[in-house]
Amino acid sequence: MRFKPRSLFSLMLMVVAAYAVFAARHWSFKAALFPFATGIPLFLLAGTLFVLEFFGGDEDTGGPAVELELSTDVDPAVARRRIAGILTWIAGFIVLVFLVGFPVAVPLFIFFYLSLQSRVGWRLSFTLTGIAWLCFYGLFQWLLHLPFEEGFIQSMLGI
Amino acid sequence: MFDALIDGLLLVLQWKAFSLMMVGMGLGFIVGLLPGIGGAATLALMLPFIFKMSPAEGFAFLLGMHSVAATTGDITSILFGVPGEAISAATVVDGYPMAKKGEAGRALGAALMSSLVGALIGALVLALAIPVVRPLVLSFGSPELFMLAMVGIACITSLSGLGVRGQIRGFAMGLFGLLISTIGQERQSGTLRFDMGLMYLWDGLDLVPVLVGIFAIPEIIDLAVRGTAIAGDRQPEDLQAGVIEGIKDTFRHFWLVVRCSAVGVFIGILPGAGGGVAQWVAYAHAVQSAKDTKDRARFGKGDVRGVLGPGAANNSKEGGELIPTVAFGVPGGGAMAILLGGFLIMGLTPGPDMLTKHLPITFSMVWTLVIANIITVLLCLAVLNHLAKVTYVRGGLIIPFVLFLVFVGSYTANGQIADLIVTFIFGLLGYLMVLFGWPRPPFVLGFVLGKVVETYLFISMNRYGFSWLTHPVVVVLIFLMVLVIAYPFVQERRSRNRELADAL
Repeated sequence: MRFKPRSLFSLMLMVVAAYAVFAARHWSFKAALFPFATGIPLFLLAGTLFVLEFFGGDEDTGGPAVELELSTDVDPAVARRRIAGILTWIAGFIVLVFLVGFPVAVPLFIFFYLSLQSRVGWRLSFTLTGIAWLCFYGLFQWLLHLPFEEGFIQSMLGI
Repeated sequence: MFDALIDGLLLVLQWKAFSLMMVGMGLGFIVGLLPGIGGAATLALMLPFIFKMSPAEGFAFLLGMHSVAATTGDITSILFGVPGEAISAATVVDGYPMAKKGEAGRALGAALMSSLVGALIGALVLALAIPVVRPLVLSFGSPELFMLAMVGIACITSLSGLGVRGQIRGFAMGLFGLLISTIGQERQSGTLRFDMGLMYLWDGLDLVPVLVGIFAIPEIIDLAVRGTAIAGDRQPEDLQAGVIEGIKDTFRHFWLVVRCSAVGVFIGILPGAGGGVAQWVAYAHAVQSAKDTKDRARFGKGDVRGVLGPGAANNSKEGGELIPTVAFGVPGGGAMAILLGGFLIMGLTPGPDMLTKHLPITFSMVWTLVIANIITVLLCLAVLNHLAKVTYVRGGLIIPFVLFLVFVGSYTANGQIADLIVTFIFGLLGYLMVLFGWPRPPFVLGFVLGKVVETYLFISMNRYGFSWLTHPVVVVLIFLMVLVIAYPFVQERRSRNRELADAL
């Protein structure tokens, strides 16, 4: 009997499925049919797997899934730091888009990522940022006319 | 009929139609490379431009654009692990690991050549099938289409690792994808499901942010963790030789390419299934074609067959989708529904007239598919060397550009900041799936199929109760599903017996 981190995922699926079935119980037949038809078997499958992982051996002999293989040749502490770093950058980009909108966020993000994270020289950072901005403006705004919302700051200041 | 075939060719080769096809191809090339902006969305954007065009010119423009977007979508899937199109996601699974192994040129060569073969097969089937396809399409009602979707999901579970736990994980992920697709307003009763009080979720989750997040973000995180170029610290491959090798691979595994093209055509013909399904089922077929478990274990780590199968199906399904669209006015997929609008704008009514009075126009569509794909592949092959070099640029320079494309692409789905948050959340979910060994493909297929499966299930239950389970085609499909589920176990058992016999 051993709890493994991967069992957390089975547990999460069980919770999601249970919530789905619980929430659907008062809906009309039309609306509830599919959540029931998927939620109940999902709960049972995830539960079976949780039990197998909790009480069973390490893994069956079948072989791995056809999936991306994460890098294993990086020191775990370094890997954890880099994961936290990239997730922070991604979250930062989303916040930046919310605050100033895409047209401003794109060049700012690219410039700061290149110069601070990738440690590229200022000149190259400027050049690459310029290219990215031209691509953004030329393709998405000039050619495809895609509408981009203004940022929170612009709408607050009325500019 | 032969006269109509020649007339169709001449219609496409008229200078105006040909020029418009080239313009459409240029647009399709760009759109295919950009994640998130799908071929269907671009068709919709370009529809107003065909008002003053003749039918041959209009179809050359629209179909030229659409068929190219399907081909070039594979390029970003291979180079960055970011699907350029929703229908190019399956190419990521083996295409991107090939790029990481320093075989980007080979993967691109294989993807393009198999796409060309697939497109030609799709066009050929379109030309031949129109008179005979009617009984097939009409024999598939809601119960049969529901079961067919279930067979598709069962096929994908074969990618989830062999053994009991692998299969359970695959099915659980397929069901999870189906469940997530129920978020939003139920279309028949109007009930709001799992909307968490957010108006954004009323329309349900859009495919693009979910798909781009679940595939692109884990690849970007892994690239950041490695701190190298996509191709690692390897010496640059001989790109020209790699591309030629990829082209040769298409002919080495020619029957696989033909079979996967057939899968694409078949799924394309069936209304509602769409290109994403065709690609995944073709990929699953490629995996199941492995000789034994050892051979199977090569998939997902950069096996060229995993690129050939989806590449072929991706383009052959275009011909397949056009069959019901042209012959019955029943669109085979989202893009074809938009193309139907094109028919009406140009004063044409899909149906019997397209097979008699307007037969040359119908054949001009076949020729457009053929010519546009040949030109695209030749042009792409000319620039592949330069494209593949990107995989040797260090990750730190690539990541901000890929992130910018990923999030701009996701944003175009609904034009809301919430699209970016959904991308991020599903990116994290995708990373956890990879980390804990849960397969992403069944989830994606479940999510893609969710809405149509729900509709088919509801209609089947409402119309037939449980008696639909005894329909002959349904019974055959249930049997096929059981076979698909059992096959990996049989394969595993055979492999073990062989190993045991060798040891003795």
